Amino acid sequence: MADCPHTIGVEFGTRIIEVAGQKIKLQIWDTAGQERFRAVTRSYYRGAAGALMVYDITRRSTYNHLSSWLTDARNLTNPNTVIFLIGNKADLDAQRDVTYEEAKQFAEENGLMFVEASAKTGENVEEAFLETAKKIYQNIQDGSLDLNAAESGVQHKPTQPGRTNLNSDSQPNRDNCSC
Amino acid sequence: MEDVLSEVCSSEDLKVFEKKYNDELVKGLVSSTTQFEYACFLVRSRYPADIQRGVVLLEELYKRPEEIGKRDYVFYLAIGNARLKEYQTALNYLKGLLRVEPGNRQVQELETGAAIAGGAILGVGALIGLGMALAKK
Repeated sequence: MADCPHTIGVEFGTRIIEVAGQKIKLQIWDTAGQERFRAVTRSYYRGAAGALMVYDITRRSTYNHLSSWLTDARNLTNPNTVIFLIGNKADLDAQRDVTYEEAKQFAEENGLMFVEASAKTGENVEEAFLETAKKIYQNIQDGSLDLNAAESGVQHKPTQPGRTNLNSDSQPNRDNCSC
Repeated sequence: MEDVLSEVCSSEDLKVFEKKYNDELVKGLVSSTTQFEYACFLVRSRYPADIQRGVVLLEELYKRPEEIGKRDYVFYLAIGNARLKEYQTALNYLKGLLRVEPGNRQVQELETGAAIAGGAILGVGALIGLGMALAKK
């Protein structure tokens, strides 16, 4: 990945998906992992309905940093924000430095959803976003996420019935772009 | 809050980094980190005067010797200029970045956004020009 530059600040993306027959527009903020952007990227946590926290299964240092990312995610989002832990580079199993079981346990202890994925092959990438959206949708349905609360990260568009906006803050520990 | 050219930061966030910058300024030395953070929030302000100030701070940072983050300064200079509707300046910065990193998707997308926004204004200008030409006849 010679030509895979670090994210500058935040990269914006949108994607329309369907959950339970409802069209949902995901607004995705891919925030830079470098320390120099920490102040800037922190300002995007507020108002996120979900966060995807990515580490590299072949580099233990990225896994070791998770608790500090999680602290930020917990402190700066609302209590209902769905946090999904993702072990990237699942295609490089031979170079694995973090076992599936260890990360799974970390996720369970901290109430996170967890999956291993590969940005290179696309394995579980779509699923991670879909599962996050489903969980957010479920939180809306069962009433634990109040759409009227400020910074729920979700907007219902009454003019377009059945369209819901979800802000999903994805926050990778870089090195995982699929370019 | 759809893209990098239209999203705005909160004024509370801006104030936090303004204070950090001013505190260091009083002590006589503003670190690159503090100046960059403040500038990033300034260019995301809804007020053109703030954006302009952010651009000035970024230009000053860029001129500092031995800076490691020049690529980041140039990118934010492009954002700031595009938000001030100085599209040609923004596009020039982005062209410079693309010479170094031709495959950078963020830069490509910002270039497209700035080109469309700049082109749309040219389009309106052309229509007004045409209207005036017709009116004169």
